[in-house]
Amino acid sequence: MKELVEYIAKSLVDDPSQVQVTENASGSATTLELEVAQEDMGRVIGKNGRVANAMRVLVRVVAAKKGQRVTLEIV
Amino acid sequence: MSDTRSVETNADDIETAIELGLEELGVSRESVIVEILDEPSRGLLGIGARPARVRLTTAAPSRHQPPPTTRREPPSPRVYEDVQEIADEVDKVGDDVFVDEEEDDDGPLAETVPVAVDDLDDDARVGLATLEELLAKMQIKADIAVHRAAAENGEEAPWVLQIQGSDLGMLIGRRGETLAALQYITRLIVSRELQRRANIVLDVEGYKTRREQMLRRLAKRMAEQAVQLGRTVPLEPMPPYERRIVHLALRDHPDVMTESVGEGDHRKVTIVPRFR
Repeated sequence: MKELVEYIAKSLVDDPSQVQVTENASGSATTLELEVAQEDMGRVIGKNGRVANAMRVLVRVVAAKKGQRVTLEIV
Repeated sequence: MSDTRSVETNADDIETAIELGLEELGVSRESVIVEILDEPSRGLLGIGARPARVRLTTAAPSRHQPPPTTRREPPSPRVYEDVQEIADEVDKVGDDVFVDEEEDDDGPLAETVPVAVDDLDDDARVGLATLEELLAKMQIKADIAVHRAAAENGEEAPWVLQIQGSDLGMLIGRRGETLAALQYITRLIVSRELQRRANIVLDVEGYKTRREQMLRRLAKRMAEQAVQLGRTVPLEPMPPYERRIVHLALRDHPDVMTESVGEGDHRKVTIVPRFR
């Protein structure tokens, strides 16, 4: 899951070295926090949040397969 | 026309009525056409309240029932279609009808030409590698077949990355949402790598092809109905890609015109009879 977000983010940003994904599990819910360089924020969010939302759809699908609930936040 | 089965259900709201119908037919939502016969109404002060009534028709073969002898169905007051969200990048294009359409029922994705790996260009090669990587990270086991779609007039035919395997419904998602997201991300990554727009589309188990054929059939049927009723027939809201299929299917129809109305997610095609 973390690897998926990491791969997508690193493929889209100008500065892949600044990409960081942290996984916070609390109970049955997991939160993935995606950090990127300030200048790359727009690339992982996209116009009208389209990139972020597409990533969320994929994360949700993979999580559902394992019976988990995972949310993605861009910080 | 393949065998069809059809049920009519009532419930307090449309969604519930559809769910009931799907249960009764034992099929998934992608494989039925939904017609809304009655919108639910609370009535005025409890007087005149009526439930939502829908008819679901499946295009899937059925062994239990003989094929219908006639294709014409009684006209219903309002007709929608259960659609799957597919497209993303077509947003930019909007509803413009810019491609010439052949007379037959096959969409551009339907007629594909298999290609040897050596013949792949950068778009296909990078697309394939990117999609393989994404699927691996998603821990999904699937094969990807690469085809060149049939050429459309004036446009270079896109590569079709056809994802194949078992149990891939999750990759399509409700209304094709997951497939749309996967295609969007894949194209974004590939376009960035190529420094230009990637000429690829994704499909899962021929889903888009089937969907396209279904939409064409629906368009023609609804056009007949608009003519019969002598009034405008609205379809259910659809993403741009699907609206375009409907517009194209009816472009040369002598008796109807099509027009998209509404904004954003609510934008839908209406079929307007021509009065002569």
